Amino acid sequence: MAWEYSEKTKQLFMDAVQGKPGTHLGEIENADGMGEHGSIACGDAMRFTFRVERDASDPCKDRIVQARYLTFGCTSAIAASEALCTIIEQESRTPIEALQISNAAIVDFLDGLPEQKVHCSVMGAEALEAAVFNWAQKRGVNLKALGVDLHDGEEEDGRIVCKCFSLTEPYIRRKIKELELRTIADITNAIKAGGACMACHHQPGGLQDLLDDIWGRPDAKVVSAADASPAGVDPADVGAVLTPYQLGHRIDAIMERHVLPMLRADGGDAEIVDIKDTTVYLRLQGACAGCAGAATTLKLLVERTLKEKVDERLRVIAVGG
Amino acid sequence: MMYLDNNATTAIAPEVVASMQPYLTTEYFNPSSAYEASRGPAFAIKAARAQVAKFLGGVHPDEVLFTGCATESNNAAIFGVMRANPGRRHIITTAVEHPSVLEVSKEAAREGAEVSFIGVNQRGELDLDAFVKALRPDTLLVSIMHANNETGVIFPIDEIARIVKETDPGIIFHSDATQSVGKLGLDLTDRFACVDLLSFSGHKLHGPKGVGALFVRRGTRIRPFLCGGHQEGGRRAGTENVGHIVALAKACELAEEAMTDVTAMQALRDHLEASLCEKIPWLEVNGAGALRLPNTLNLACHCIEGESILYQLDAAGICASSGSACTSGSLEPSHVLQAMQIPFMAMHGSVRFSLSRYTTAAEVDTVIETFPGIVERLRRISPYWDVARRAPREG
Repeated sequence: MAWEYSEKTKQLFMDAVQGKPGTHLGEIENADGMGEHGSIACGDAMRFTFRVERDASDPCKDRIVQARYLTFGCTSAIAASEALCTIIEQESRTPIEALQISNAAIVDFLDGLPEQKVHCSVMGAEALEAAVFNWAQKRGVNLKALGVDLHDGEEEDGRIVCKCFSLTEPYIRRKIKELELRTIADITNAIKAGGACMACHHQPGGLQDLLDDIWGRPDAKVVSAADASPAGVDPADVGAVLTPYQLGHRIDAIMERHVLPMLRADGGDAEIVDIKDTTVYLRLQGACAGCAGAATTLKLLVERTLKEKVDERLRVIAVGG
Repeated sequence: MMYLDNNATTAIAPEVVASMQPYLTTEYFNPSSAYEASRGPAFAIKAARAQVAKFLGGVHPDEVLFTGCATESNNAAIFGVMRANPGRRHIITTAVEHPSVLEVSKEAAREGAEVSFIGVNQRGELDLDAFVKALRPDTLLVSIMHANNETGVIFPIDEIARIVKETDPGIIFHSDATQSVGKLGLDLTDRFACVDLLSFSGHKLHGPKGVGALFVRRGTRIRPFLCGGHQEGGRRAGTENVGHIVALAKACELAEEAMTDVTAMQALRDHLEASLCEKIPWLEVNGAGALRLPNTLNLACHCIEGESILYQLDAAGICASSGSACTSGSLEPSHVLQAMQIPFMAMHGSVRFSLSRYTTAAEVDTVIETFPGIVERLRRISPYWDVARRAPREG
């Protein structure tokens, strides 16, 4: 389906891809800050790098003078990355000030994004955070002491809630709070969780439970994953009888002793695909395959042999080679 | 504009437009009415039915039902068979069907059916062994598409239908042939004589949107999907869409005459495929090695994303489509490419070009000139390209 993008979004995308002056595609070598977010599995990923003008006395006053990105993503991901870099450079923000650029600001800059594409703007913010964290380490800035709470990824280890996009409970919880996500649709639009198989929407410990736990719902509590019931126990395949098994063995033996040597002598071969009740599904191979006439003759030959030597009720169905 | 998205829909042929015109203007009468004037439309439907019956290999005209679209035909086939045969409840279909079979099967499961979804291999070919093993004494319906809309991979439905009927003539075989009708011969009285139900639509073979057909072999146990009228022998109620029915028949007639053009179309597709594979590194053909429709080319462009490619193609005046997540409307990439276990990076960078008998060599040449540059520009901005192009190539 075609997405409805604003003119601004389309323009930024086209400019970036064509490498027009003033666009920010690329990567800075020996960057002062480098961060990545996303993964191929999720369909989009971004690498964000920036260079600062160092302040001699206080690293906190370093100003970003150049910001660049590489992205594996769609139109909106590229435009959102462009927007982020433009805002940072225009206002020559410090790395810590850059963190205050919200995804809402990026969406505004783009004159809006389709709801399902908001996650693309969130991705930029995450990559920026990672880059700022990297800068702080290099410059010896203690972000915690400055009251800046960054997520270096450690806390994101935890129980996977959304299996399709490999998103953990701590990550989803943090994003629900940060972006004030109130419904499952909000979550999917912002961070993609629950956007594919949807199994995590209402399962115990799933997205609805996390929402209820964070925003409150009377008498609601998060059920731990251990309490969740095991998925789909199949009641079928019980009570297999031994007779078909013995029949199968007998058929195999006759095939091996009487039928296959005959076929192999002429450069052919055959394989049993399945046996259902008294029907044998047989694949003719080698010289026998691909010749309709020979296939019919051989099928009848095999069928007659099996009828004679195993059970007269047996019949053979040929399965294409 | 270069239109290479013919698996989505096709340009309506001028002859088809002309054929339907009278029924949109002067010949508006209800074919069921009693007066002389309505005999024109009534006769037109009869002639259209005979034409489509001939096109399908000389089946009985009463085996052809006109519907609103292929999606309706598929719904009618699956739900109609379920309702007529409450004693059996097992359905077999594939993991790569069009949503109008896949989602309908899931809906059928909610209504009490048990559904087996048969997978495909990496080339997109059906797992025949898994299919044979899935057959059960209570199997009611086997619904397997003739050719896949995304990759163009052809399933041997003649062979599968034969296995079905040899196993148990009580099992009904349905095929969604929307993509293959008009491109592959479909002789329902000879090679495809074991097929009971077959769906297709008008707009995939240069007819108009809003009309489809369902072939129902005589003797097939099926209940009507739309009730409330005597039309189509009581099997599909609703006043006939005369103009569109006439148009569908005309489109079939033209397709039959143009079957010889299929070879030329395939030559163009093969030229496009070979040229792009030669010019672009890290490019793969999804479904390569499998038997494919003569008009479809589904490419995996490693390290870049399908939607970006489409926008760039669009800017160059080329219409194509993609199986990437960003174009799917959900957040999930194509279920067909997923079933084929195509690597993520290739799946998100999939692009489908689909030709028609009206596609020209000049159009194909423009794509060959334009597309490599687009891929190169997008790869320059991909964080994965740098790594990928240096890595040793597998396979």
